[in-house]
Amino acid sequence: MQRNSADLFNAALRLSILLAVLIALVGSLLGFLIYGLAGVFSSLIAAAVSASFGVLTILSIRFGSKLPLNGFYGLVLGGWLLKILLFAVLLGSLQGAEFISGPMFFFAVVASVLGGLSIDSYLVLSSKLPAVEN
Amino acid sequence: MDAVNIAELSGNIAVVGYGLAAIGPGIGVGLVVSKTIESIARQPELAGRLQVTMWLGIAFTEALALIGLATPFIFA
Repeated sequence: MQRNSADLFNAALRLSILLAVLIALVGSLLGFLIYGLAGVFSSLIAAAVSASFGVLTILSIRFGSKLPLNGFYGLVLGGWLLKILLFAVLLGSLQGAEFISGPMFFFAVVASVLGGLSIDSYLVLSSKLPAVEN
Repeated sequence: MDAVNIAELSGNIAVVGYGLAAIGPGIGVGLVVSKTIESIARQPELAGRLQVTMWLGIAFTEALALIGLATPFIFA
């Protein structure tokens, strides 16, 4: 049970890093068994994307909450747009690369997106945040 | 382009696919935010809780766009 928003963000940070480690370990194992070394690289890249995006989102909300409301939205939504752009650039540069396996990368990205959603839902539903923020 | 084939296009059809994959989440996120703004206007005292629910709704909706963005890796 989280007492305040700082506890919530710390729990989100821990779970996001745990998710990335899980994707790296399980994905590498499955990727190596199915696609060989390309599957391992695909899982590791997807895990790195998952970790960096999750941590950046949480840090932007945490530091944004110290700013006035417009600054908060600017930081969080600006960071969000930047992440989508970086994601598109990364996907574009990985397209057709020989050292990754397309299907393995896709499923690892989907696993990280769904895992991130599960973490968000679990934290929001299990927390007892007051209607008026501290 | 020859005289018979007057509607010839060049490029990658996957780009059109991503455009289609972005339409749904775009409409979805718009609906989530507009309904949250309406709700906050009706009951401003619930703004905090409504915003948390809104972020969750946006996260779920935009997941579709992210998955759509990565689909060229399996459908290429």
